[in-house]
Amino acid sequence: MGIRKYAMLGAFALASFSLSAFAASAEDVTIRVWSLDRDIQPAPNLIKDFNKLNSGIKVEYRQIQFDDVVSEAMRAYSTGQAPDIIAVDNPEHALFASRGAFLDLSDMIAKSSVVKPENYFKGPLASVTWDGKYYGIPKATNTIALYYNKDMFKAKGLDPNKPPQTWDELVEAARKLSDPAQNVYGITFSAKANEEGTFQFLPWAQMAGGGYDNINSEGAVKALDVWKTIIDEKLASPDTLTRSQWDATGTFNSGNAAMAISGPWELDRMLEEAKFDWGVALMPVPQAGAERSSAMGDFNWAIFANTEHPEEAFKVLEYFVSQDDRMFKDFGQLPPRSDIAIPATGEPKKDAALQVFVEQLKYAKPRGPHPAWPKISKAIQDAIQAALTGQMSSKEALDQAAEKIKAVLG
Amino acid sequence: MKRILSSITDGRGFDVGLVSLPLAFLFVLSGLPLVYNVVMSFQEVDMFSLGSFSRPFVGFKNYIDLFGQPETWPILLNTAIFVTASIAGQFLIGFGLALFFWVSFPGASWLRGLFLVSWVMPGLVVGAIWNWILSGDFGVLNFLLRETGVISGNIFWRSDPSYSLWAVIIANIWLGTSFNMILLSVGLSGIPKDLYEAAELDGANAFQRFWTITLPMMRSTIGAIVALGLIFTLQQFDLFAAITSGGPNNTSNVTQYWAWDLSFRQYDFAKGATISVIMIVFVMFASVVYVRSTRHEVRG
Repeated sequence: MGIRKYAMLGAFALASFSLSAFAASAEDVTIRVWSLDRDIQPAPNLIKDFNKLNSGIKVEYRQIQFDDVVSEAMRAYSTGQAPDIIAVDNPEHALFASRGAFLDLSDMIAKSSVVKPENYFKGPLASVTWDGKYYGIPKATNTIALYYNKDMFKAKGLDPNKPPQTWDELVEAARKLSDPAQNVYGITFSAKANEEGTFQFLPWAQMAGGGYDNINSEGAVKALDVWKTIIDEKLASPDTLTRSQWDATGTFNSGNAAMAISGPWELDRMLEEAKFDWGVALMPVPQAGAERSSAMGDFNWAIFANTEHPEEAFKVLEYFVSQDDRMFKDFGQLPPRSDIAIPATGEPKKDAALQVFVEQLKYAKPRGPHPAWPKISKAIQDAIQAALTGQMSSKEALDQAAEKIKAVLG
Repeated sequence: MKRILSSITDGRGFDVGLVSLPLAFLFVLSGLPLVYNVVMSFQEVDMFSLGSFSRPFVGFKNYIDLFGQPETWPILLNTAIFVTASIAGQFLIGFGLALFFWVSFPGASWLRGLFLVSWVMPGLVVGAIWNWILSGDFGVLNFLLRETGVISGNIFWRSDPSYSLWAVIIANIWLGTSFNMILLSVGLSGIPKDLYEAAELDGANAFQRFWTITLPMMRSTIGAIVALGLIFTLQQFDLFAAITSGGPNNTSNVTQYWAWDLSFRQYDFAKGATISVIMIVFVMFASVVYVRSTRHEVRG
C-alpha cells in the first residue's frame, strides 16, 4: 500500500506539473466511466452532452453487463485498472465503500452547490452512506407497490377504489379474487432464490418491525406466515418460487392474477399489454397505522479511490446530478430525489401510478448497507423458500437465517 | 552443435518440439488454473485480494466450513442424482435412436443430422424454452400430461421441491441425447457387417446379435460416451440458471451452480474453489475411464 500511495503521489505531482507546465496546450483530463446503461439510458447520453461542453474533461464510456458489474469492477480495482467512475447496484455499494475502494465524497459534497444530501430520498442516500460518510451519489431509484386489476375487483364485488390496506385485507381480497376455474390467482409476486426474493420479502419484515439484522422477530415470522398462507391456499401460483418479478407481473398483465407486487419498471409494458383497468396502491401494512416500508432498487454513482483525478471525476458526477430532472422525461427512470417532481406523461393510469410510487419511495429502505450483503440475502432467500415449500415452519426457517446472518455480522 | 540442429529438424528433437508446444499450451491454460484453484481452496480469499497471490493460508478451514453447512450434503446428493439420471437418460434414448437410424430407410442420415440441432443450441436458449414448457400454470408439458389423462392437477415442475431437480434433468436429457446418438452411430457403423451375416447364418436372433455382437463391439465407444457424459453433465450450468436457479430452497442446486453462486454471487471465492476441487476429483475419475476406454482406438 505504501508504495502504491507514493506512486499515486508521484502521479499526482506529475499530473499537476504537466498541467501547469503545458497549460497552453491544455491536455484534456480523461475520466473513464463504467455503467450498465444502454444507448437509450442515461449514462451514455449524459456523457455525450457533457463532452460537448468542452470543459477540459473528456469522458470515456464503457457499458458493462449487469451480471459483470461487481466482478469486472473488483478485478479492475485489484489490478489497478479501475475506471474513475462506476455505477454500482445499491446493495453492493457498502462492499466497496467499507474496503476503501470508493472515494469518500463527504467533503466535496459539503462544498458542492449541486449535490445536496437534503434533496435525496432517505433510502437511496442511506445506501451510499458507510460509517456516516458519503461514498457515492444515488443515480436513480425504484421501489415496489401493489398493482391491482380494477375490473376484477368490480367483478368480485370489491370496491375498485379501495385497494387492500393491511395484510389481512390483502389475503382476504386475494381469496375473493382467486378463481381457479378461470385460471386466475389472487396475487402474484416473486419469491425467487436470488436477490429478487429478498427484495420482495424484506419490506414485509421491515413493516412488522423486523429487518435483516432481526430477521426472526415476531413481525418477520408473521410476514412469512402471510406469504405461506398465500402460497398454501394457492392464492398465488406455486411458480412464485422460481419466477422473476418481470415474469410474475406478466401473468398479471395477461389477466391470470388479480394483483401484483412489483415496481415502476412494469408501467410501460402494462400500458401496452393489460387490457383492463388497473391501479397502484401502497404496500399493505401489518395493521392500520403500522410503519410503512418498501424495497429500494437501482444504481449509485461512485468514484474509485485510486482515481488520479478525483476533482474532475466529481465535476462529472455534479454534471450528472444537475441533469437529474431529465431522468424521467428522457429516460423513464425515477430520480432519487424528493425535490424533483415527476412531470405528467398525459397517460392518466401511468401518472396516478407514478404518484403512488413516489409516495412509496419515501418509505423505501436500502438493503443493508452491509459489505457482506449477498450472504445475508442468501440466508433470507433460503429461509423464504424453506418455509414456502413446507420444509420448515416460518419460525424455524427464519431462526436458521438469523443464525447464518449472525455469523456474517460477527 | 550440428547434431543438435539435425535432431531438431529431423529426429528426437523434432518430436520433443512438437509435443512440448501443446504441452506448454495445456500447462498454461489448464494446468496452472487447476493448481491455482486448488491453492485458492486453502486460502482466505475475498474480492480485494483476488489480484494478489500472497493470501493467508487457512489449511482445511474452507473444507470444514463447507461440510458444516446444512445444504452441502443435499447438494452433493442432487449432483449425483443429476449426473446419473442425465447420463442414463441421454445414453438410453441416444442408443435407441442410434439403433433406429442404423436401420437404413430413406432419409435416415438426413433425419439423424437434424437431431444435432438440439446440441447446437446454446444452453441458455434451451433453458429459456424449457422454462416455458415446464411452467406450472401454462406449461405445454402439463397440458399434454393433462390431456392424455396422466395427471389430474398441474405439476409445478420448477417450484415443487420433489420435481425441481427432475425438471432440469428432463431438459438436460433432451439437450444431450443427440450428441450421444451421433457418437453411438459412429460406433455402430464401425462394426463389420460380416459379423452379423455370420451370426445370422448360425441362427442368432436379433436380440442375441445385439447382446453378443453390438454391445461388446461398442464397449470402448460406450465407455467414452459415459465418461464424456459425466464431464458434460458436471459442466451443465446454463439450464440451472435458466430454469430453477437452484431453487426452491436448494432442492435443485448442484455443485457446479453452487460454486458459481458462491464465487460470483456471494463473492466467497475460497468456498467456490473448494467445491471446484471436490468436482475435480470426480472429473479425474471420469477422465481415467475415458482414457482407458479409448486406449484401444489408439493402439488398434
